[in-house]
Amino acid sequence: MPGGILLEFPELFFTGLWLTIQLSVLGFAGALAAGTAVALFRISPVPPLRWLGAAFVEFFRNTPLLVQLFFLFFGPIRFSGDTFENIFRAGAIGMAMYHGAYVAEVIRGGLIGIDKGQVEAARSLGLSYLQTLRHVQLPQTFRATIPPLGNIGIALIKNTSLASTIGVAELLQAAEIVESRTFRAEEAFGAAVLLYLLLTLPSSVGVNWLERRLLIAR
Amino acid sequence: MPRILGKIIAFGATFAVLAAACGGAAAPSPTVAPTGAATATAVAKPKFELASYQYAIQTKGKMRVGTREDNVPFGRKDPATGKFEGFDVDVVREFTKAIFGAEANADPDKFIEYVPVVSATRIPTLTDNKADLIAATFTINDERLKQIDFSTVYFRTGQKILVKKTTTNINSVTDLNGKTVCTAKGSTSEQNVTKQAKDAKLLLLDTYAPCLLALQQGQADAVSTDETILFGLVKQDPNTKIVGAYFSDEPYGIGVRKDRVGFVPFLNGVIAAMVADGRWAALYKKHITPVSGDVKDGPHDKGRPSS
Repeated sequence: MPGGILLEFPELFFTGLWLTIQLSVLGFAGALAAGTAVALFRISPVPPLRWLGAAFVEFFRNTPLLVQLFFLFFGPIRFSGDTFENIFRAGAIGMAMYHGAYVAEVIRGGLIGIDKGQVEAARSLGLSYLQTLRHVQLPQTFRATIPPLGNIGIALIKNTSLASTIGVAELLQAAEIVESRTFRAEEAFGAAVLLYLLLTLPSSVGVNWLERRLLIAR
Repeated sequence: MPRILGKIIAFGATFAVLAAACGGAAAPSPTVAPTGAATATAVAKPKFELASYQYAIQTKGKMRVGTREDNVPFGRKDPATGKFEGFDVDVVREFTKAIFGAEANADPDKFIEYVPVVSATRIPTLTDNKADLIAATFTINDERLKQIDFSTVYFRTGQKILVKKTTTNINSVTDLNGKTVCTAKGSTSEQNVTKQAKDAKLLLLDTYAPCLLALQQGQADAVSTDETILFGLVKQDPNTKIVGAYFSDEPYGIGVRKDRVGFVPFLNGVIAAMVADGRWAALYKKHITPVSGDVKDGPHDKGRPSS
């Protein structure tokens, strides 16, 4: 019974779970913000901004997340004087940047997909470039891209487990500690699987619900 | 007709040769080995009881040894030559000599089949019968003794603390309270620190190389694990030092599956002989002294019952 071991080491498992939730929420919020900004860069009329956006996407999409995390941990930048705050921030920033690259491509795809006529109509009505983005293009884009964004969010929840390699005591690391104390690998990792499902399954349901509520029928 | 007859004769001859070859390896009687050299080997081969596991290994002609490929100075595979080296490996070579006799003295590796292991695969490698023994800085403890057998202690170490040379306020395990201590996941080192310094903040990474990096960068105040591993880290970074006394006991033993008749007492005999005749001290000097700077003449077993 994999659930039993949860009650033997509740502190380890549930503080781990809480860190995983924090990493996921902060990471996904950061990924949405960074991704949207980069997508706007990529469709901007200013060429250097477009290049900058493309460079961001290609760099973070084409290097392993694990390597990025190691670089954030051992690299020259410190996010806090306190070691544990530092590794947590490094983890959250790593999640935001890596998944932000994917978010940027999804959003860019959504923006491109909007009929040119709408933009032209908005501009001829007197809306500025930014006003057109804010009131015409972005609202439709977010609604249209809910399914792929949900995909990225769920992938991000699972990828937070990589933060255990830079020392963040999240759910996977909690399971590893329990395993090394008890030699009961199946139970310890089985409990971790259950807790990950506890996070990802409701997320899936939530994404489906949002999709039904907001998705535009085309 | 003659062609078929020829085939039958050829088949018969091949079978006879094969049978003789197999018999020569399996049966202790030297009568089937006609050449002088083979007879000499047979004489120099130690004799064992038929039921014993060392006899089974001698008969098979190879001993399967589980060891690590990346654990200086105990077990390491030289990437250039592909040969294994280290304290554990040389101990195993002595076992091979004791089983296979004179022929193994010249080239013990001829009788060894290496099975690479990591910490977590050591017990499964034995229980799944993928190796005859494990020699891989394998700490004897009660939890493991439930699953496998161990030889007597052939090496003894304990946990110590590594700090930067400039650190002065960490001199014992209790000084680790309130400090950030790096150690590897999946080892007993983490539990030993937690037990004796409750308020130590543990940074758990996959191996000790990133721990050393974290220490160098000031992200950890100390690294703590078996002294023998710390020796290797000091060698990598001379700006670090080992402080304090042992605060855990790590007796290394040779791991053997539980159903191997007579094998553990045999290994214990070889280990005792190595300590008595100075071979153990020579191996310590060859592998450990270069990193530790000291000399020892035996594992100084403090009374774990020898089985």
